Amino acid sequence: MPATDTAVRIADMDKYYGSFHALKNINLDIRKGEKIVVCGPSGSGKSTLIRCINKLEDYHAGSINVLGTELDDNLDHIDEIRRETGMVFQHFNLFPHMTILENCTLAPILVRKQKREEAEAVAMEYLHKVKIPEQADKFPGQLSGGQQQRVAIARALCMKPEIMLFDEPTSALDPEMISEVLDVMVSLAEDGMTMVCVTHEMGFARQVADRVIFMADGEIVEQGTPEQFFDNPQNERTRTFLSQVLGH
Amino acid sequence: MAKTYHRPTLLDHVRTRYFATRLDTAMSVLFGAITLWILWSLLNWAVLDAVFSAADKELCGHDAGACWSVIDARWRLILFGLYPFEEQWRSAIACAAIVLVTALSCVPWFWNARRLPVLWLTGFAVFYVLMAGGYFGLKEIPPQSWGGLSLTIFVFAAVAIIGMPLSIVFALLRRSELPWIARTMGLVIDTIRSLPLLSIMFTFAIVLPFVLPGWLIGDKLYRVIVGYALFFACYQAEIIRGGIQALPAGQEEAAKALGMSYWHRISYIVLPQAFRNALPPTINQFVITFKETSLVVIIGFFDVMASGNAAFGTAEWSFAHIEVYSFVALIFFVFVFALSRYGAYLERRLAVASR
Repeated sequence: MPATDTAVRIADMDKYYGSFHALKNINLDIRKGEKIVVCGPSGSGKSTLIRCINKLEDYHAGSINVLGTELDDNLDHIDEIRRETGMVFQHFNLFPHMTILENCTLAPILVRKQKREEAEAVAMEYLHKVKIPEQADKFPGQLSGGQQQRVAIARALCMKPEIMLFDEPTSALDPEMISEVLDVMVSLAEDGMTMVCVTHEMGFARQVADRVIFMADGEIVEQGTPEQFFDNPQNERTRTFLSQVLGH
Repeated sequence: MAKTYHRPTLLDHVRTRYFATRLDTAMSVLFGAITLWILWSLLNWAVLDAVFSAADKELCGHDAGACWSVIDARWRLILFGLYPFEEQWRSAIACAAIVLVTALSCVPWFWNARRLPVLWLTGFAVFYVLMAGGYFGLKEIPPQSWGGLSLTIFVFAAVAIIGMPLSIVFALLRRSELPWIARTMGLVIDTIRSLPLLSIMFTFAIVLPFVLPGWLIGDKLYRVIVGYALFFACYQAEIIRGGIQALPAGQEEAAKALGMSYWHRISYIVLPQAFRNALPPTINQFVITFKETSLVVIIGFFDVMASGNAAFGTAEWSFAHIEVYSFVALIFFVFVFALSRYGAYLERRLAVASR
């Protein structure tokens, strides 16, 4: 049983795609309130890692414990963990047939059994927080990418999750829209949310992260505070990666 | 010198599209004349030289115009078949009820997993009680006596009501994560789709009574409807499956990440979008189903097509088959055209919400 201030504990975890060893012996403890940035070259398994935390991907060995609940094949456990972890995707994945407000209230009404008025009040509160309350009655297709991603963050927050997972939230955005999404993420971090972010935004990592994790070939190669990580990287692969993303 | 832009007038359009070259002009004049001649002949036949009233039957044949007297005299047979004459008002109201329900289901207020089924089941119950009788002092009339347009609408509505939910179940089973369920469903769908509709109707009407226990046999008409609905469901299931597979994987993942259960994901996220994607082929399937109801004639039922045949089947009217067929064609056209216009309206409407 992990300590009560542990949000996620991943122990000796392995994952395969067929015969391809996608994640190798991952060990990772995340404290409540901790902000973690996961980075690494494409194909290093960083997205797969955070998708394992809410079981969008299966894992094949080891264990994952989220907020004291063991993530196994028990559907109740999976539901429990998904209720408490919000996720933001690279491609937003808003429901295109529903308005912004409906996107935000659907899960609270169905899963949390909230009353519609209550759910709508909460949704408007979070839409204010991400600075687009005036778009509530539009459809996702009528919004810009940056706006859609901010709605996606609000939608996840409406479930009042303990942990937020971000899977490359700015990678599909036009450059001028990246900062509006990062601003929302920074303010979320300031509120004390537990966050795990897969991202290439090194400025964001330096500003917000408590710990930066570098992955390559399905392994955690190096981890440390942003200062250690950026100013004094230990591993050769980390140095190569950093020179590539920071070099220009 | 600055160029100014002239908005092309109608005359400009006509000139550039139909009279640009000498060949264009010749073709336009030729085909224009042919079209006008056809339209004029049709108008002459159908209206100007036509005889309309049954009382004027003797005038038919003099002017080579249409003899609509046959419709005037026999329309009840075409619309109601062998349904008892003095009870035909019931058949008429029953048809109107289904048409009303169809019209109501075009109103977006009813587009909801609860309201739409309730609406259709109510409409269908009204139709059935009126047609079959036996309740509220209505004389009981067995399905063998149903016919004409009412029978066509009954078969169509029943097939849609049974077949639609069935097709959703089939589509979901075929996408099951358990391979043996998915494969079995796939085999059933492919088998039924590989059989001709005619043979399925025959099997359900004629062969099934030999193998089913007595209490399960039911009326021949219901057996045929069940067989037809099964056939419909197999085609429609594949249409819905196509709609589901067109969805990006991210949609279900987002719903999962929000903690939504399988049924919530299916009914709020997957199916609404799948139906949108599948709308054009679904309307197509409904149109085909409506027209193929005529096949029930082979197991001895008088749908609108068969009662049309009966309408000119007597010596008195035997010359008027063109008029009767035109009338039946008009009935089919009205229904099918309304159906496809409604489909086009839906597509335009849904396009707003999903760019």
